[in-house]
Amino acid sequence: MSGFKVMIVDDSPFSRTIIGETLVAAGCEVVGEADSIDSLLETYIKCKPDVVTMDLVIPGTDGFECSRALRLHDQNVKIILVSSMKDEETEAEARRIGISGYVQKPVDGEALVGIINNVMSPDTLFQQLEDRGHDIFQESLAQNLTRMTKAPITFTPADISGQQFTSQGITAVVGVIGRYSGSMIMDLSADTAEKCVLSLLNRPSKNREEILGMVAELANIIAGIACSMLNKHDKGFGLRVSPPSIFSSSAAEITSPNLQIHGSYAESGFGTIFLGIGFKKGSVLWM
Amino acid sequence: MDVNQINPMLTAFTEILPQIGFNSIDKKKITLIGSTVEYRGVLINIGLLGVIKGVILIGMSMDSAMRFASKMMMGMELESFDSLAQSAISEMGNMVCANTCIQFSKIGISGLDISPPTMMISELGTATLPVQQAIRLDFSVDGIEVYVYVGLV
Repeated sequence: MSGFKVMIVDDSPFSRTIIGETLVAAGCEVVGEADSIDSLLETYIKCKPDVVTMDLVIPGTDGFECSRALRLHDQNVKIILVSSMKDEETEAEARRIGISGYVQKPVDGEALVGIINNVMSPDTLFQQLEDRGHDIFQESLAQNLTRMTKAPITFTPADISGQQFTSQGITAVVGVIGRYSGSMIMDLSADTAEKCVLSLLNRPSKNREEILGMVAELANIIAGIACSMLNKHDKGFGLRVSPPSIFSSSAAEITSPNLQIHGSYAESGFGTIFLGIGFKKGSVLWM
Repeated sequence: MDVNQINPMLTAFTEILPQIGFNSIDKKKITLIGSTVEYRGVLINIGLLGVIKGVILIGMSMDSAMRFASKMMMGMELESFDSLAQSAISEMGNMVCANTCIQFSKIGISGLDISPPTMMISELGTATLPVQQAIRLDFSVDGIEVYVYVGLV
């Protein structure tokens, strides 16, 4: 490791010195230090570090609040939590906030250097998810739709530059949780949904609830199968799906800020179905 | 839905919002509702998964969303509900729901995780939650009306 610029957030001058010396010995450059939430943002903006080490216990606040403040300013900030506490819930909260790594106090130099290297290295598992994820969700959608339409499904890429698109009428949103969290968005018109119901039940829908229920079930199955396929490819993903929410409107814009959505349009015998999938980093590495 | 499940959300809301620039967080009303929600303006969807699962929605009118985002951005004037404002509101949703998981762990429900926020923007739309019953919480946050829908089982 060499050349990484590190900022240290810790209220203890002694801890800052120990961490600083460890980092310098490993070839890093300590570009800034903050001892409270008051000096945090100003120091971060001024020194533009590659990585921030964050103490968990800071008088008047805590490392989580400071991390949230930094992430509000910069979604891509890489934070390594440094704490004497090491328990399941602290790890879970770190992951939910988007903290990249975690080192236990007293800081072992080798462990800290190892985790900075990991945080700064390309995340190959995430890259696999980025490369394969959308294709696998497409495959899952195609499998399930083909059973109904008995006709091949073709996909065309969707241009969702600006990460915002207009709904065709009905939208299913399924949260994905695991090593990486993400969202699947499936959007279709009421007419397309009605044709799906007709195919599945061999009769027209009785009411709108039945149509929305079918969309929810279809989205749930597509996301569930796709996540199983990805987990089979690499157990490390550990993906699971949360129950779908369904939205309907004659004119709605949909966006997932802070998430890169890969979208495509599935052309089926029933009509056009939009499929979007995006995952975010923010894995927690423990040492 | 167990009504006690809203307490972690209430605590999270009142704990996180002062950290992002809000002074007065008033809980106005709590209502038990069905699975359908009508919304006007902005609605954030965040999935929650673990020993309990479901969804948390946070809604506000377009005008309220712009005022809310502006406050989060140190009073920056907003001409439209642009990507920066959308990102700010989403991040607030993420923070509140992440903290809700912490509050659940304090009452013995650990290991919950959340999905990234998805935002719907519409003059008039309907949301169907994946639960039969949900709870609606009406807040006034520095005079801005915010509605939170908790649907967990």
